[in-house]
Amino acid sequence: MRLALAALLSGCVIASRSLTPPPNDVTTVALLTGTLGPPMDGIARHPWFAVRKQGETRWTVYEVGGGGTEEDPFRHHEYYGHPILHKVWRGDEADRAAACLEREAEPWIGRLHYRFYPGPNSNTFGDVMLRKCGLHASLPATSVGKDWRGVLGANVTTEGTGIQLETPILGVRLGIKEGFELHILGLAVGIDLWPPAIIVPLGPGRLGFADR
Amino acid sequence: MKALIILGVLAVSSSAHAERWQRMMDRVQGGAFLHYELTGLEAIDEPGPTQTPNEMVLAGARLHGFLGKGASVAYHIGADLFAGSTLRGAGFAYDVALFPVGIVVRFGKTSIIGFSAGVGAIGAVGTIDDAVTVPVEAIAEIGNAWRLLARARVAYVAGADSRQSAAPSIPFADELDAMLGLRFGHHYDDHGFPTGNGYFLGVSYRELAGTKFAGFTIGYSIDMAMPRRFTGNDNHDGHDE
Repeated sequence: MRLALAALLSGCVIASRSLTPPPNDVTTVALLTGTLGPPMDGIARHPWFAVRKQGETRWTVYEVGGGGTEEDPFRHHEYYGHPILHKVWRGDEADRAAACLEREAEPWIGRLHYRFYPGPNSNTFGDVMLRKCGLHASLPATSVGKDWRGVLGANVTTEGTGIQLETPILGVRLGIKEGFELHILGLAVGIDLWPPAIIVPLGPGRLGFADR
Repeated sequence: MKALIILGVLAVSSSAHAERWQRMMDRVQGGAFLHYELTGLEAIDEPGPTQTPNEMVLAGARLHGFLGKGASVAYHIGADLFAGSTLRGAGFAYDVALFPVGIVVRFGKTSIIGFSAGVGAIGAVGTIDDAVTVPVEAIAEIGNAWRLLARARVAYVAGADSRQSAAPSIPFADELDAMLGLRFGHHYDDHGFPTGNGYFLGVSYRELAGTKFAGFTIGYSIDMAMPRRFTGNDNHDGHDE
């Protein structure tokens, strides 16, 4: 209770993941987001997947508008600030994820008719890859465009424990872990049940515990 | 060879598109501001003759833009979308407005003072009758990193008898809504465009359904603009500030 209150008062996220890259003893796939440049840095984030196969020293990055290999995409990813690590997959699960991203990312980006707002954009890419590859994680509320489904769309959430119905004007996400999230013109507000947090369309996208 | 032709066509069309965009950018200049706001209001006098709420919380966004040929005067449009609740009545409340007509005077880098008019709707389940409104609003956004944010709106109500002439302080309109805030933020001049952002704190005042409300607003504001270019249409010596 005290921790939750402290989070609310300080406006920060409790128990954020460390940005130290894991060892290369097994394959690793990570989902990260970073802020856009000013003045959008408080309200908009951009996602990238970092993939490093067992024994490799460099990371392969999958994202819209970038990509290639990098030494440390956890702490230094060009053009994007204040990175947040949302999820890490390791071992066999990461091998499957790496193969899926290698197969699915480039063709999807090639077909993308990019629209900065409301989507499809880089956050739509992040959400689509999570679902296509069966990776259970959530992009933050400030990843505007993650809920873009065209005129009308419905699906199981990326966390896998909820459902989502979306139009460009109004959308809703309901789930056991996800809680309740209302989307108005692409902006998200709501309550995340696990880990507990208030979902806000600002900063890291939540007030409370970091997502898991 | 076919690929080369396609690439060539794409390059030419892309270049043409860029040129069109550049020509448009040369002809007009403008800017925009976005607010995320959370406002809590409490009744400060006895409720009016109708069943009015004692408290009201509204959260939402304001997105406004302005565009003109000159550096000092621009056409202004905007949209405000807010939803919330009348706390103890626990009724869903909403306050939305579109401003298709407006004018702003620009000064400084991104500062503006202006007026706009439009159409809106306000209501709350169980406490405030739903009604269409015709709001007329004056706005001011002055400063850069530290920025004064001010807004005053009077509204004429159609469709709810209980809300006619229901702003005690102003005989000429049915409702009044005002906010005065100060942003403590940042100013940027990256890539040749003046922009700014940051959190703000403000005081709010409202007269609605015969009751006066006062409270606080917290929010986040972003402003951005094209650099002001003085042309022959502007009464100025030809240089930006």
